[in-house]
Amino acid sequence: MKTTSNVITFSRPTAFVLLVASLFSAAGFLWPFFYVGQNLPQTQLFFWIAVAFSCVVVVLQVSSQQLDAKSIALLGVLSALIAALRPLGAGAVGIEPMWFILILSARVFGSSFGFLLGMISMFVSALLTGGIGPWLGYQVFAAAWIGLIAGFLPKAIRENREIVMLIVYAIFSAQVFGILMDLQFWPWALGSSTQLSYLPNGDLAENLSRFITFHFATALAWDIPRAVFTSALIIFSGKPVLSALRRTHTRAAFIAPINFIERVK
Amino acid sequence: MIKFSHVSLIYPNSTTTVLEDLNLTIDEGELVLVIGPTGSGKSSLLRLINGLVPHHTGGILAGDVSVNGTSTQIAKPGAMAHLIGIVGQNPANGFVADTVEEELAFGMEVLNLPNDVMRKRVEEVLDLLSLAPLRNRSIATLSGGEQQRVAIGAALVTHPKVLVLDEPTSALDPIAAEEVLSILHRLVHDLGLTVVIAEHKLERVIQFADRIVHINGAGIANIGTPEEILMNSPIAPPIVHLAKALGLKEIGLTVREMRRMTTAFREMPTQEQRNDEIKTGNPVISIENLNVNYGDKTALNKVSSTIHEGEIVAVMGRNGAGKSSLLKAIAGVSPVQSGEIQVLGNNPSDLQGKARRQRIGFIPQEPSDLLYGQSVQIECDQADRDNELATGTTFSVLEQLVPGISGTTHPRDLSEGQRLGLALSVVVSSNPTILILDEPTRGLDYEAKSQLTRILIQFAATFGKAVLLATHDVELVAELATRVIFVADGDIVADGSTLDVLLSSPAFAPQVAKVMSPQPWLSVKDVVAAIKEMP
Repeated sequence: MKTTSNVITFSRPTAFVLLVASLFSAAGFLWPFFYVGQNLPQTQLFFWIAVAFSCVVVVLQVSSQQLDAKSIALLGVLSALIAALRPLGAGAVGIEPMWFILILSARVFGSSFGFLLGMISMFVSALLTGGIGPWLGYQVFAAAWIGLIAGFLPKAIRENREIVMLIVYAIFSAQVFGILMDLQFWPWALGSSTQLSYLPNGDLAENLSRFITFHFATALAWDIPRAVFTSALIIFSGKPVLSALRRTHTRAAFIAPINFIERVK
Repeated sequence: MIKFSHVSLIYPNSTTTVLEDLNLTIDEGELVLVIGPTGSGKSSLLRLINGLVPHHTGGILAGDVSVNGTSTQIAKPGAMAHLIGIVGQNPANGFVADTVEEELAFGMEVLNLPNDVMRKRVEEVLDLLSLAPLRNRSIATLSGGEQQRVAIGAALVTHPKVLVLDEPTSALDPIAAEEVLSILHRLVHDLGLTVVIAEHKLERVIQFADRIVHINGAGIANIGTPEEILMNSPIAPPIVHLAKALGLKEIGLTVREMRRMTTAFREMPTQEQRNDEIKTGNPVISIENLNVNYGDKTALNKVSSTIHEGEIVAVMGRNGAGKSSLLKAIAGVSPVQSGEIQVLGNNPSDLQGKARRQRIGFIPQEPSDLLYGQSVQIECDQADRDNELATGTTFSVLEQLVPGISGTTHPRDLSEGQRLGLALSVVVSSNPTILILDEPTRGLDYEAKSQLTRILIQFAATFGKAVLLATHDVELVAELATRVIFVADGDIVADGSTLDVLLSSPAFAPQVAKVMSPQPWLSVKDVVAAIKEMP
């Protein structure tokens, strides 16, 4: 039977392109641990470009699909909202209301939507805050994955247990985002002389322990406040925001059946 | 141009048919008016034309709708965009861009028209709708009438063959409404545009309509010329009621026609001038030298007035004249630059919580601003608790005002009329001494309007409260108000009994008064009463 259009869901080819691009960007995060060679600056540059390029590929693939007006409108409004919220916390440590909206929207509208929302909103907010640089591609992918996984959380859990689940996920994603950002930052940010610096061609275990120390040094400043702030938002306004988003989902009449018949009787 | 054949419609998750077996052919260059009570399916009918129903909403569509030979079963709304322009009930919800020019260009941008064509058409439309002085204005700063014109302009730039409008004049003052309608009339006659309008304020549009589709509550539609339909319809403009009350064989649709038919009644010897002195109870609101500015713009300029118990005061005037500013200042919700307002001896902006609810009930232009609950029931229960009333009191007031609302509905899913009813029930439940309403009749049908009139009159007369309302609806004012304050450009230009003020201004006179001039009769009721008294 015919229905009205669904909220964005990726087709198989898109999901495949997305997987490849994600693997590529994952490599972009993880390469320092496995790097063996002499051309460190070139490798760094290669992954900067590769990750940014993967973003572009995903966007092209998604937009070649038939996107419907309602999904685009939703994506647009929510991305604008998130992007507008981001500068609020740009100066303050870890005050980033964007994760709250991203996680809740992805929860209601599904993983594909969450992936795109993470990508677009991170990109748009970077335009607003002037946060454009080699790190942007990494941020975009990290936000996209957080949205994607939020959409995969079990649907059947509702009411208070849902809020608890979302808080756990918020804490998890705040930490994951922190780790990922540190990973892309760490090889080049500290210089080569400190005790926490990346050792090119170094031992995996040695590098890991250096990274973990580095991460915990920064986590106190960024990731923990981020987790606390996002959880607090979910506790205080999670329920009304979820119900507003769910109402939007109902009102937009995604996959409502359409039936054309000759006569009623 | 538009063909409905055996159309019935059922929405998803619903068992009632919105429209039943509708057959209708609208030719090119016709102006068709769709009337019917709130919630009868007018908007559905309009949205069937470009396929928004059922492609966006889902549902079962029996029969077929085709526009210019294309069936909406095959073509999605996007594919109809070049053919059909649609203007929604609340134009502000449909705007995309920030300024007038950009908004006008947006539709063409989407259809990928070349730049030089876009430039030319923007100019055309600016001229056609007299929008040229507003071209660089931000849309958010425009008045309701101007926004409505921009919305129509935005629909016209793509040169559609069909223009569909959902209540285009309900938010406009009589003059702006006339402007919009005469523009539509001109488009129909000059360009052969096909226009379909849904409208509650029949007195404004009836003279322009070629045919009327009257949908009754059960989804059955009657189609015919205005005379045929209005003769037998309970929904009719005041002059039709006048014709019926006077027992005329035919009905006239314009003031001119009716004047010709009623010469005899006007020439009867008149009673002495109706004694319509203003009742003066205790003063409840006093305003002295009130100034309100928004930035450089003066909204109210040294306004002074006093309002008493038992009065129903209508504040009238053009869109943007300062009506809402005056009401908001009295309600204490907007800052005042200088001057003094006393509401029952208090400064309204100092009142808080319960003290405030018991003195001032304020219903803003957008009633949903007052509604925060997740359902009608929650909203009503909250009002009961706040005002220590028995559970269900507010809901039963609502039942009286607008019957048939389900308690589980979300307030934002109600129609405009129903939403106003809910806001009014909630506000009235705290039994305020002063009730202030900003544009209460937009989106209300005749039935709901007469209910509103009845309740407000009872509220003022029986309980000795003061009612203050801003409205463009002269017919409502004629029925309801005891006193009219006419605002223009931030000044009070007239303040007096309804009869004096309405009769002295031709543009703001109700239809019955125009027909019966120079007799001082404002409504059908007055005419009937006056004629009975005659020998």
